[in-house]
Amino acid sequence: MIRFIFGRRNYYPSSGEIMASIEDPYVLIDKWLRAKEFIVVGKGVARTDAFEKALGKAKYVEDYFQSGILFIKQVLSTEPHARIKGINVEEALRKPKVVRVITASDIPGENQVGYALPDQPLLAEGKVRFHGEVVALVVAEDIDAALEASESVRINYEPLPHILDPLEALQRKDVLVHEEVGSNIAFRTRIRKGNVEEGFSKADVIVENEYRTHHQDHLYLEPEGALAIPGLDGRLTVITAAQYPHLAQSIIARVLGVPASDIKVIVPYMGGGFGGKDDEGPLTAAKAALTAYLTGRPSFILYTREESMRTHPKREATIIKYKSGAARDGKLTAIDVTIIHDTGAYANRGPFILWRATVHASGPYHVPHAKVDGYCVYTNKVYQGSFRGFGNPSVQFAAEAQMDELARKLGMDPVEFRLRNMLRPGLTTITNQLLDHSVGIADAVEQLAKVSGWYSKRREYGVSTGRFRRGIGIGVAWHGISTSRGVPDWSNAYIKIDKDGSVTAFTGIVEMGQGSPTSSHRQIVAEVLGAPIEKIKVTFGTSDAPDGGATHASRGTSIGAIGVLVAAAKIRERLNKLASELLNCSPDEVVIREGKVYVRGDVERSITWEELIKHAYSRGVDLSATGYFFLPKGKFDDTVGQGQAYPAFSYVAMIAEVEVDTETGKVRVLKVWPALAAGRIINPQQVEGQIEGAAVQGMGYVLMEQLVFDDKGRLLNPDLTDYVVPTALDVPEIAKPVYVEDLFKYGPFGAKGVGEMALIPAPAAIANAVSHALGVRITKLPITPEAVYFEVKKHGLIK
Amino acid sequence: MFYRIPKFNYYRASTLNEALDLVSSLNDFKVLAGGTDLVIDLKVRRYTVKNVVDISRIKELDYIADDGDRVRIGALTKLQSIADSPIIREKAPVLADAVREMASWQIRNVATIGGNLCNASPAADTAPPLYVLNATLRLVSKEGEREVPITEFFLGPRKTALRSRELLKEIVIPHEPDCGASFLKLGRRNSFTLSVVAVATLVKVDKNKFADVRIALNSVAPTPVRARKAEECLKGKEISLNNITEAAKLVLHDISPISDVRASAEYRKDMSVVLTRDSLIKSLERVGIKV
Ligand SMILES: Cc1cc2nc3c(=O)[nH]c(=O)nc-3n(C[C@H](O)[C@H](O)[C@H](O)COP(=O)(O)OP(=O)(O)OC[C@H]3O[C@@H](n4cnc5c(N)ncnc54)[C@H](O)[C@@H]3O)c2cc1C
Repeated sequence: MIRFIFGRRNYYPSSGEIMASIEDPYVLIDKWLRAKEFIVVGKGVARTDAFEKALGKAKYVEDYFQSGILFIKQVLSTEPHARIKGINVEEALRKPKVVRVITASDIPGENQVGYALPDQPLLAEGKVRFHGEVVALVVAEDIDAALEASESVRINYEPLPHILDPLEALQRKDVLVHEEVGSNIAFRTRIRKGNVEEGFSKADVIVENEYRTHHQDHLYLEPEGALAIPGLDGRLTVITAAQYPHLAQSIIARVLGVPASDIKVIVPYMGGGFGGKDDEGPLTAAKAALTAYLTGRPSFILYTREESMRTHPKREATIIKYKSGAARDGKLTAIDVTIIHDTGAYANRGPFILWRATVHASGPYHVPHAKVDGYCVYTNKVYQGSFRGFGNPSVQFAAEAQMDELARKLGMDPVEFRLRNMLRPGLTTITNQLLDHSVGIADAVEQLAKVSGWYSKRREYGVSTGRFRRGIGIGVAWHGISTSRGVPDWSNAYIKIDKDGSVTAFTGIVEMGQGSPTSSHRQIVAEVLGAPIEKIKVTFGTSDAPDGGATHASRGTSIGAIGVLVAAAKIRERLNKLASELLNCSPDEVVIREGKVYVRGDVERSITWEELIKHAYSRGVDLSATGYFFLPKGKFDDTVGQGQAYPAFSYVAMIAEVEVDTETGKVRVLKVWPALAAGRIINPQQVEGQIEGAAVQGMGYVLMEQLVFDDKGRLLNPDLTDYVVPTALDVPEIAKPVYVEDLFKYGPFGAKGVGEMALIPAPAAIANAVSHALGVRITKLPITPEAVYFEVKKHGLIK
Repeated sequence: MFYRIPKFNYYRASTLNEALDLVSSLNDFKVLAGGTDLVIDLKVRRYTVKNVVDISRIKELDYIADDGDRVRIGALTKLQSIADSPIIREKAPVLADAVREMASWQIRNVATIGGNLCNASPAADTAPPLYVLNATLRLVSKEGEREVPITEFFLGPRKTALRSRELLKEIVIPHEPDCGASFLKLGRRNSFTLSVVAVATLVKVDKNKFADVRIALNSVAPTPVRARKAEECLKGKEISLNNITEAAKLVLHDISPISDVRASAEYRKDMSVVLTRDSLIKSLERVGIKV
């Protein structure tokens, strides 16, 4: 088999020569971005976990529970706002099999877990701020004992006046959710671009509306859970459902007052996250870890559905006041937007969510003059948090309603009007960021209008006066890649190749259904190394991997996979160098493809992948590498909201066709057409799955999902009976997506991000379609049958 | 809100007689059929009982019998068996229509028709079709058997005409060959949903006139109800869209909906009218009349 010729070079080249390979991440990212042919990238490679999951063999947190492990039950507040005068645990402790009751005073480290602002305790301290806040943990030998004892913890509350309406909370100073803040405003944002007065003076038409959007629960199939085992692997090891193992690790370390190196976090398969487990996951883990630390025994927590719904953060409810102007030539002249987010009892990630909403307030359009003000407001309700789209679906809904209304006043087709204003390379955003590359949205929208038959349907529909009325609507949206403004973001991973040629990549990115580690990461590693894809294993969700950031913000296969790409590319350079020695060619001529290593144009001069790896081991070539990459960020001035907001944006559009039954108010979504300009599509099969899932989740949000609170801020429907989500029979036909691969220069192979995308324009597309069908502007979500029916009645659309 | 099922004594009967012995000797008990209502109710403590009598294994109460002029359904017959039954599809298709839309396949394979009725939820979906079919319920105790028309069975939310030591044995549906009946349910999504309003109607036609009309609704009053005013208004009248539309408005006389997390009273009222009209039109279609 050994066919290579050892010519001019020494059989044992000095290690210095081999180490001279390229290690600069910028060069490596760029090199692979320019690849023209692909082995596995861009193909619908099946994910490794498909069979395990179909057969029910995949293990989730709960599957690691065994008898003998302590069970933790949370005691939740029954008051929306009250001082805690005392907590009596005597009776609970007397119950059989009860081991301990844990309250804030038992926390050895810091009882402070606010992500954006230091305003949030792990266990309520001094005061409770919403009905459902966690006050104590009851720990018992088994679940029944814990449940029983949890009913005997007596909390002595001194009720305080509470406040539920964000507009009222903005005004009042006498009722404060957080006294130390001095008002109920947790955070503010602002953008000032150009001069809006001047902009509006140039407008021929002006549209002004107030929009309202509502909360949404993630309703992941798997509720929150964590299992903490003291001493396993030499540390306190926590198996948990969290979207960022390293964040869970640092929160646990903070709560316990120990170094992060004493904590190990493993995230096994996760039954859905959608952002909810980005916020709640680390807190769940901290509760289990705290219990294990205090008792010295393995401890397990699993939320019931009701507990999950009452405690974990929700999609923000918003009030958006929006004024926009356009000139007769169809160009936007100015926008003036006020965004109010009801953040509930804690800021959580509210400030980041508000920043995202603020910066995206224009929609993906060029607006010369913009003024945006954002308020993140405290109320005594379950707090808001991360949810697929992160502040963006609500503001795109408002922006896109405005676009339709402006088009109507101008007598223009809505798509035509949008295309005239759409962001393109060379234009600036409302933060005055110059977009220099990767802006494929105009092309995507043009194609989408064609495949959906937009122009003829838009003329045909919306004129019926019968019972069933059809409408077609569009939503176009953008979504910044990575963290906003100058907030640091980076990627990393660790890859090693074992002697037999098998490859392991270690990443903190988790597998929560989206499939990044089990599909696209493997493809990236296989593509770059040229190793057979079967030989590539990705070990995911572990804090023992280098910190490469969270699995959120659609970054799993984009920013999150840069580390995987860079680490693999470093090793590939070394292998090319080695192979060039062995095959007597230049490193550029080395081809490694599906397990075969040969000289370009001379397939006969070859060795196998396994032989190459053996040589590397015997000749001192390092087959391990990390792939650290720190994303370059520009300047951003928070006081005027001007500067580089994001390294790049993903773009998405959706056209929805609906039929409204005017007599019952029922909206049927007949078909949706999605389009994506998200850079390289690494795995079209996975991307389609993400688009379909997001479209349905978005449709559920718009048409049926809603949380109902009573006058104490108590959630009345924290269950699957009355929190209604779509079933298979509610799912519309979803067309094959239109892809425009507008490569992003730092993305792995140019990939941007996909996970959140199709949800973002869904509210806008569906609401615009319903508005078209009825000839009545929808400004409030959700569009339940009841809401539509009364809208129809109010406008006298039926007799 | 912490769902711990409280402790109780568990008894299992394997024959109807054993069950009757148990319920006549025990105090403070609940009968368990499929458990799809009861187990949840025990967890949320709607009921706290000392004893639970499991009747789910009593084979003799699981049947669908065709006696020619009537169909009898054992109280422990699973909802899915009813949906799949050729007898029901032929002789009481409106019941099959309603059952097919209930819950999910998994639940329908555990839940019983007797449980749906005895649970006496205002939203029970088997009630409207059984109301318009003029079904009667056969109740049994140690003292003997008695028959109650279904319209007299429900007394209020979770309240029935069952005496404390009595069980529902079977549902008897008279076969009426020349009628058209339909069921319409408005929920918050397309399947696996509790009704906001559901309506069943049955019509018999003579020449171009309504010979008989029956209308029943759920979720709009403390119990499922017959809309007698609307029925009376149509009987003997000519079949026309106008007459149907006018009569449908009269359902408001027999309903008294409340507002809850599922819908407002006002919406339920308006939808009762719309669904009644639509269901009447559909029932007429089933006897070949298009209006
Ligand atoms: C997910 C889900 C979805 C559902 N969807 C629907 C729906 O769409 N429409 C709908 O109407 N219902 C629905 N239900 C409610 C429930 O499934 C039905 O009411 C079902 O038919 C109850 O039957 P069961 O055998 O489970 O009753 P059980 O829970 O066993 O009993 C219910 C009550 O009836 C009593 N009982 C039962 N059998 C007898 C008897 N023979 N004699 C005397 N008393 C008796 C019990 O003591 C108890 O009080 C749903 C329930 C769930 C959990």
